[in-house]
Amino acid sequence: MKIALINGSPKREDSASGLILKIFKDFVAGDENEIYELHFCQPQLKKEEVAQLTDCDVLIFAFPLYVDGIPSHLLHCLRQLEWAFTAQAAKEIMVYPMVNCGFYEDVHNELAIEMMENWTVRAGLKWGQGLAIGGGGMLSILKRIPLGHGPFKKLEAVFKKLAHHVLNRSSGETIYITPAFPRFLYKLLAEVGWRRSIKANGLTRKDLFLRVGRGPRP
Amino acid sequence: MRVIISDLGNDDLERLFPQPLTDTILVKNDGPIHHCLGCFGCWVKTPGACVIRDPYGDMGECLSQCTEVLIISKCYYGGLSPFVKNVVDRSIPYIHPYFVIKNGRMHHRSRYKNHFDLKVWFYGDDITAKEKQTAEKLVKANAINMHASKYSVTFVRDIAEMEGEVR
Repeated sequence: MKIALINGSPKREDSASGLILKIFKDFVAGDENEIYELHFCQPQLKKEEVAQLTDCDVLIFAFPLYVDGIPSHLLHCLRQLEWAFTAQAAKEIMVYPMVNCGFYEDVHNELAIEMMENWTVRAGLKWGQGLAIGGGGMLSILKRIPLGHGPFKKLEAVFKKLAHHVLNRSSGETIYITPAFPRFLYKLLAEVGWRRSIKANGLTRKDLFLRVGRGPRP
Repeated sequence: MRVIISDLGNDDLERLFPQPLTDTILVKNDGPIHHCLGCFGCWVKTPGACVIRDPYGDMGECLSQCTEVLIISKCYYGGLSPFVKNVVDRSIPYIHPYFVIKNGRMHHRSRYKNHFDLKVWFYGDDITAKEKQTAEKLVKANAINMHASKYSVTFVRDIAEMEGEVR
């Protein structure tokens, strides 16, 4: 089986989506499977990339939630793929998107997953299963803490379930996962992180609140 | 002031708005637009403005000064068209990186006190019922996240159906 792992993050390196795919790859790798790894970080796909994807049996996407939906550069790529898939002879290709967001709650990803499902229909492909991951700001912890431990300890079981569907080319309900970590602490740590980042750029904590132009204060 | 964000060409825009637009900023697809890189520079390097200095780099400031945002977009998979979504993605300097809890869910805090009226017109001759459902939920979610005072969603088949209706 030919499986494509598609990183839909615009970040060229060090993205949460890339990390998710790197970990998930071990759950679907095997002698009988060919894995293709692609990174859609531009709004245009190369002909070779499109050809490679139309030859696959399974497409697994991982991307960040952007303003309640799919990032625009990825939307361009999906449009290009829709044309390619609808132009070719029918082949049952399964689609499994994994969407992560910076908000704590996993449910924010629901609409991006629905859009991917709508795209699957337009492109004449078959829907597999969606995975909605909340608390994306903490995903980098997976670099240091082994899977099955820490705030994302449930992710191991979730990946096993998703991989089972992928390997059997079957469908399932969207899986939602939020970190096992208090929301108020997640919010607090995020604020600490923004303050550190702005100071690292030579600005002050107050500058986080800058208003450009004459917009009214909150 | 009103902001119109549209993926329509000049001919279609002239059909919809035959009179000169007053007190309006029209954001249309008439130049190269870079996509959001997810760098968060608009929050921690140049707070309130996008670090990419193309003609779409000041969407945050633009939204802070308007009372109405009118979006006219072809419906793609229950969402906005790639160009309109690009403009919306580049508009996050309008909000603040800190989080607030609204109705039990996390959202971004507002940078400005502004609350515009969000009106979205989706066009397309074969929008499915499921895509319409997704699009309606999307506009509601966008209205909450962009701190809009109210919102509306309208679906039309083509530009002709919008003529005289969009003002």
